[in-house]
Amino acid sequence: MSTAQLDTTTPTTPPGTGSSPTRGLGERSGGRAAKDLLAKVVMWLAFAIAVVPLVWILGSTLVKGGHMLLEAQWWTNSQAGITSRREGGGAVHAIQGTLIQAVVTAVMSVPVGVLTAVYLVEYGRGRLARVVSFMVDILTGIPSIVAALFVYALWVTTFGFQRVAFAVTLALTLLMIPTVVRSTEEMLKLVPNELREASYALGVPKWKTIMKVVVPTAFSGIVTGILLGLARVMGETAPLIILGPYTKVIATDLFGGLMATLPTMINQDRTEALQPALDRVWGASLTLILLVFLLNLLGRFVGRFSKVKS
Amino acid sequence: MKTRRFGQLASLALVGSIALAGCGSDNNSGTGATAGSGSSSAASSASADCFDGTLNAEGSSAQKNAFEEAAASYSEACSGATVNYNPTGSGAGIKQFIAGQVDFAGSDSALKTEEKDGVVETDAAAQTCGSPAWNIPMVTGPIALAYNVPGVDSLTLTPDVAAQIFDGKITKWNDAKIAAINSGVTLPATDIKVFFRSDESGTTENFMKYLSGAAGDAWSYDPAKVWPASGEGKEKSAGVAEGVKSTEGGITYVEWSYAKDNDLGVAKVDNGGGAVELTGESVGKALEAAANDGEGNDLRLKLDYATKEAGAYPILLVTYEIVCSKYKDAATATKVKGFLTHFADPEVQKGLEEIGYAPLPSSIEEKVQTAIAAIS
Repeated sequence: MSTAQLDTTTPTTPPGTGSSPTRGLGERSGGRAAKDLLAKVVMWLAFAIAVVPLVWILGSTLVKGGHMLLEAQWWTNSQAGITSRREGGGAVHAIQGTLIQAVVTAVMSVPVGVLTAVYLVEYGRGRLARVVSFMVDILTGIPSIVAALFVYALWVTTFGFQRVAFAVTLALTLLMIPTVVRSTEEMLKLVPNELREASYALGVPKWKTIMKVVVPTAFSGIVTGILLGLARVMGETAPLIILGPYTKVIATDLFGGLMATLPTMINQDRTEALQPALDRVWGASLTLILLVFLLNLLGRFVGRFSKVKS
Repeated sequence: MKTRRFGQLASLALVGSIALAGCGSDNNSGTGATAGSGSSSAASSASADCFDGTLNAEGSSAQKNAFEEAAASYSEACSGATVNYNPTGSGAGIKQFIAGQVDFAGSDSALKTEEKDGVVETDAAAQTCGSPAWNIPMVTGPIALAYNVPGVDSLTLTPDVAAQIFDGKITKWNDAKIAAINSGVTLPATDIKVFFRSDESGTTENFMKYLSGAAGDAWSYDPAKVWPASGEGKEKSAGVAEGVKSTEGGITYVEWSYAKDNDLGVAKVDNGGGAVELTGESVGKALEAAANDGEGNDLRLKLDYATKEAGAYPILLVTYEIVCSKYKDAATATKVKGFLTHFADPEVQKGLEEIGYAPLPSSIEEKVQTAIAAIS
């Protein structure tokens, strides 16, 4: 209360601030303190509400499925010959299917996505660029079930093919391209124009500037975007249920037969009441969460590793 | 520099997936404990015509566990064979069969011969097959009237009384109507608490088919997948079974396996021909009493829910496998025949009884085997 002495020297004490006035801003009045407290409480409450479901989901998956992941079999065996009443078997067929489909999806969507972004940022002027940009926006908004049904209509109804893993990756590609385009676009825009100008000044042609200066500068950002997009696509379920029926055995053929994935493995026994099957559902859920989490981490790591230099 | 980093990432992913692919194994024999132990031992003695490759089926979730059991024992006998089943529901299974996406379908009802939504299922299936499609009954799932009344070990219900109980018209266990058909049983004055499936369910529909078929005027609702009357709703079979188990005075309709697994009392049913206990045999009798609507090897069983035949348990659900009589591809025909022959094998069927299904009675089994043998 050292300020109390100053009090007497200050001629104009603002009315209503009580006995302790102060330098500049004034000590908080009762009403302001209450508002501050209220805002704090509301903020923390909102935070808690947002976090509770997350912790709950992670916690219950860990508790109910954690023990499955600790068994060596889980990582080495498939579900071949295992029924809902029987314990044992693993998820390797589903993990592998999910990874294979993710890799194939990435191989198809990354070139298209990155090149589209390069076009939009470096070349695109006028009507065509606007149309492309608009289309990418529309693609971003497509629900996964619509992408899945579109591919089903094309692949099965029109062409009369069987439901195979490749059809799934087609639908996933549709979903992944717009995210890759958007994230790459943002990264390319961050590359300072001075770099381009310096390159042009040295007489380097545009294509070479893009190849050697622009894309390498934004590279880690682009990779981060791709990994995050991939993480999103891996947890996608609708295309898998419609186009990629579940199987219990290991399959690597993209064009023939069924291929298991983690989401379809979860879906298969979702309604089951028998404990061994339920354990596997939780185990598969946790495995999927872990895979997506790892990809996210990797994305963040690459992103932090080197940012766009300016 | 940058490209090298990308190369590292890519090679990491590649090596990772190759490593995974390398150590994965489909061999699960001898691992884990079997809850229903009989089925696997039955499998070893059952004969099997093996094939190499994959057979895909899709459809009714009611036969999922039976199918899995048969598929597991089949792959045990034939190491090169994989049989996949996706329990997406009868309707979805039939649609995929008609679309030529699966080799055969599992369904709770035979293909419909009348037009629905512009499609006659029988015709559409025949068009896909290039030959008539056959319905082959394979898995029988009895529905138990499961109750929890302490001190009452044996309970008999007639369709009329059951309908009134499930409609909420009879509210006490010692009601005169129940006492009249249970002489010698001391019934307590507990309230009757009816549990029903809150989700859409084929079990609900089949139980209501029984009530409207056998109870006459006492049951006024049309069979549907949603329960129309009062009571307490619980999700899934596990939910209603759990409800009855934890509530004194509770009663529900549920698949036999759930009543067994939860040690619930199962009511005998008296359609007029005497009280009948729910056993594999009594269900088989009801099946044998069913009329066959189909022609030749197309077996469409028409259950007589009001059957008064002595020793026949009338509340049941028959699920079919829907197959082409002549497959366009001879190899597929061999696969379908190989697996279905195994599925209908008495040893395998008997194993199903432990997990709550009733085996096909021998007279039906013979017809089924004849039909399977005629597939080409």
